Amino acid sequence: MQPTEQPHRPPVPGQRMLAQHFQAEWLKLRKRPLAWGLLGLFLSLLLLYLGLWALVVALHEGTLGGVRIAALRPEQLEQIQRQLSLPGVFGAVLGQVNATGGILAVLLAAGALGSDFGWGTLRVQLCRAPGRGAYLLAKLLALLLALLVAVLVSLAAGTLVAVAASAWLGLPSALSARDLLALPLGIARALYVILPYLLATLAAAAYGRSVLAGVGGGLIFLALDVSAGSLGSLGVVSDLVLQMVNLLLQPNINALVVANSRSFGLDQSVLAGRLDMAALPSPLQATLVIGAYCALFGYSAWRALARRDITGAQ
Amino acid sequence: MPSPAIETEDLTKRYGARLAVDGLTLRVERGEIFGLLGPNGAGKTTTIGMLLGLLRPSAGAARVLGHDVQRNPAAALRGVGAMIEAPALYPYLSGADNLRVLARAGGLPDSRIAASLAAVELTARARDPARTYSQGMKQRLAIAGALLPDPELIILDEPTNGLDPAGTAEIRSLIRDLAAGGRTVLLCSHQLHEVEQLCGRVAILKAGRLVAEGQVAELLRRGQGLRVRVERDAARAAELAAALPWVAGVERAGDLLLVDAPAGRAAELNAHLTSAGVLVAEIGARGGSLEEFFLEVTGEG
Repeated sequence: MQPTEQPHRPPVPGQRMLAQHFQAEWLKLRKRPLAWGLLGLFLSLLLLYLGLWALVVALHEGTLGGVRIAALRPEQLEQIQRQLSLPGVFGAVLGQVNATGGILAVLLAAGALGSDFGWGTLRVQLCRAPGRGAYLLAKLLALLLALLVAVLVSLAAGTLVAVAASAWLGLPSALSARDLLALPLGIARALYVILPYLLATLAAAAYGRSVLAGVGGGLIFLALDVSAGSLGSLGVVSDLVLQMVNLLLQPNINALVVANSRSFGLDQSVLAGRLDMAALPSPLQATLVIGAYCALFGYSAWRALARRDITGAQ
Repeated sequence: MPSPAIETEDLTKRYGARLAVDGLTLRVERGEIFGLLGPNGAGKTTTIGMLLGLLRPSAGAARVLGHDVQRNPAAALRGVGAMIEAPALYPYLSGADNLRVLARAGGLPDSRIAASLAAVELTARARDPARTYSQGMKQRLAIAGALLPDPELIILDEPTNGLDPAGTAEIRSLIRDLAAGGRTVLLCSHQLHEVEQLCGRVAILKAGRLVAEGQVAELLRRGQGLRVRVERDAARAAELAAALPWVAGVERAGDLLLVDAPAGRAAELNAHLTSAGVLVAEIGARGGSLEEFFLEVTGEG
């Protein structure tokens, strides 16, 4: 190697280090087979979900080879038909993003941070750009961008299914400017609902310094949180109990998921009969409570990464 | 006068009751190739970790290229390239993309990627996934990562591990070229003949403590002389040897005496000690190699 003139090295401000880490994280994520595999899995599950509803409607209405199985109440049929047409399919897709998509996002986040510990690459990257907070924030932003891309691809796939299903089943399907304007808010809500699980996973991966710790921590938290959602029935005891239960994460997640469904003409209470809509917190409270959980998990992840020694491959 | 490339003062790292690095004070001048030696667990990698801001010192301070690593890691590490222990790579990315990740993180131009790959002769395999690389190729890719920022200071931890003889020779030649271009190299290696060939100065660590430091030539000179092992009365034997007019000095480690004296006087020394009633179990000339000196000061011999 020929020696070269020593370059001038200006100081790196924090914002620029964040931008640099983000570019590195995005490159790692978009070239990672795991990310594409999880997207493929999610799209398969989404198509299966919508396909099964289309089959149910076809059987109910006798569209499929003259076979007719009328097992749905009229309001249930109407909801399913809305999910299979525009704009209701947007609500259905975003609902799936917050259900199975959340689990897959936990796996992606655990892989993204945990394998940097496992392969020892975290040490190399932090030698090059030592801002640990910038590294963590850049990883989170890259994950959110990847999820945004996944949501957009899923919405496009859902739209194609809705066009095909509407033509096959003769469903009314129309898209207004209001529906299109509701879409960015719906996408933002869906990503916001996933955010606390992502941050809890990053915190678990940082504390455990491995993919396994991230997956375990993220999924255990997800399972506990969903279980805690069943405590909502305790709200009948008194308003105070209801207010306390509504400080758990799950009721607030449900509130935003329901708000998203309503934006696209869907009524969750018809298909999810156990959900007590009246007991759910307001969207404003939901936004604030979820934000508080995000702050807690984000701080935990930062503390685990920034205040501890970074060692070699685990 | 420029600041030293590396300067540590009472640098200490404690894990619970165990001292991994114990009050290390070191100074590596700009432009030199400095060897950091020590047996496994001596604290070499821990020291490097603290120099790179990855491990927090329990006490003391480290300055790299004139900047305090703890207070201003970005400034300290801007001109540093490092390869620590085993190569750490993204197995699913190509060799070029592995470097691209580091270039993006460091805000470096993509043009540095081709230059770094060429320096370690990996250009032909740059597009292949790193998981398909041999151990030697992974090692070379990790070194390319260290070269990426065109560093003023390059820290290499066992850089020739896993390389075949030709690859080893290339890396040694590369290290010489880096130093010839005015760069500082901190080299950790178990291959003492490699350190002897490349380094101007070395420091030897044992159980986290600095047990020897100096010019390689000076340490080699100290490594010459006579080596005497006695059955008992080592203290008296040391006094008897030191009293001889042609003995410049005696160091004692247990029943071993390291006598700074001409190698041709071995028989004379043996007769002197035996006539005084000291039982000599073994006597001979010391080899004068860095390896022998290392084994003696670390007690590994």
